[in-house]
Amino acid sequence: MNRILALVLVVASFIFASLGNSTYAQTVAKGSKVAASTSSPLKLALPLADGSVRFAVIGDTGSGSDKQRQVADTMVRYRSAFPFDFVLMMGDNLYGGESAKDFQTKFSNVYKQLLDNNVKFYATLGNHDLPIQVNYQYFNMNGKEYYRFNKGNIAFYSLNSNYMDKKQVQWLQNELAKDTSDWKIAFFHHPPYSSAAAHGSDKQLREVLEPIFIKYRMNVVLTGHDHVYERIKPQKGIYYFVSGAGGKLRSGDVKESSPLTEKSFDRDMHFMLWEAAGKNLYFQVISRTGETVDSGVIVNPKSK
Amino acid sequence: MRNKKRERTRRLLSAASLSLAMLCVLFGSSWDRNLASGSVQQTAQPIQPPSVSSADKRTIVAFENRVKAYMKLRNASKAKLPKLSKDSTPEQIESYRKSFEEKLRAARAGVHSGDVFRAGVAAYIRKTLRTEFQGKDRAELRDIVFEAETQGVPLRVNYPYPEKNELSEMPATLLIKLPQLPKEVRYRFVGRNMLLVDRDNNLIIDYMVDALP
Repeated sequence: MNRILALVLVVASFIFASLGNSTYAQTVAKGSKVAASTSSPLKLALPLADGSVRFAVIGDTGSGSDKQRQVADTMVRYRSAFPFDFVLMMGDNLYGGESAKDFQTKFSNVYKQLLDNNVKFYATLGNHDLPIQVNYQYFNMNGKEYYRFNKGNIAFYSLNSNYMDKKQVQWLQNELAKDTSDWKIAFFHHPPYSSAAAHGSDKQLREVLEPIFIKYRMNVVLTGHDHVYERIKPQKGIYYFVSGAGGKLRSGDVKESSPLTEKSFDRDMHFMLWEAAGKNLYFQVISRTGETVDSGVIVNPKSK
Repeated sequence: MRNKKRERTRRLLSAASLSLAMLCVLFGSSWDRNLASGSVQQTAQPIQPPSVSSADKRTIVAFENRVKAYMKLRNASKAKLPKLSKDSTPEQIESYRKSFEEKLRAARAGVHSGDVFRAGVAAYIRKTLRTEFQGKDRAELRDIVFEAETQGVPLRVNYPYPEKNELSEMPATLLIKLPQLPKEVRYRFVGRNMLLVDRDNNLIIDYMVDALP
């Protein structure tokens, strides 16, 4: 009897979490505002609160293509209205070679304006990245394949999903066990949940990481690998995103009937903007051409 | 007097039963909560490494010793290089990687396939992989391993893994079950073959063909 009751409770809490998220997302979407300045006709769905933590997310960028540059240009335009301080990179930072020239044509030249304005990039390794990238000056990995850093009330965990060995799993558990941050955000390349046809959910990785995320109450998981945008319905209280189209696109790749998808966008490349303000974590997804394709807010469960 | 005693006993009994009832409710509900979270955590059991026989243990230890010997050699080559800082330029990274590769290739001249993956450990790894790749839930493992485009990767000891080629993701559940390696040495699949690769200079340390069933 007790087992049945417990099962009902768990199912109900998932449904509640899913409904809650949709409601919040809709609320913010309706409340979207146009930035006041006439010189910056950019639509922001973010509160621009005093003292908030602001950052951007890009994934699978390192193609060196014109379209990667166009995404970067749109990021620069949006930064004039939403001054973010740092960028999380979801891996595949350099496709097809890692000569000194590749670092320039596929990264530093593309994001020059952001780098010149002291925007910091924090990278993770994808399946096209050599591990020696951890020593690159602009990736801020401090020589490590997996690392943690804090900004305001958020702890960020960059993991190497190419090689999730015992040592890394142990490190993650140890770090999370002592973490008292309000928000915990993990980012890595391979998505534990994805509705894209090309790769889809990495169930092996999920089998290892999800128990740890649940145990230590990870709030948000950001990934790439699939060259699309997807917001996954909350899974066991955790919000998963795929943001893998900052430099490559697989048009029409998200399976339309997927039960995992809360929202997806696979018609163009994109980047994400995030803002942590008090108990709320806001996000906005912007296409290469500047169109807002998704937005929402996640309420910290600690504040409920 | 007797009535007073009886009344006191009755009160004590009712207080005790009330406390007992409250304890039952408390324990009952917390048990429910534990069960509720337990039902989530049923899927949350960490993956355990397999138990190994003493013969397999000896094989693994011998393999680890050969990897340690490799580490000694590669660290000696590394010591001859200028240190790579944690905020290096692309030019410094490229130069370091290539110098490291050249020095280590020279130091390992004459090595052969099977020097590290000797027959015993190769058999143990094949057995582990066979077990892992069985069963209907293991189709996912195959998808991960065969997903990477690795055509053109040479099966040659002491040659670099081509930097233009994709690196196959090593399935996390599998890594926990294979013999553990120092962080500088990596398992990597190329099709059905398994490679040992150096993380920092990309050299193929050894390989075993048809590792996957």
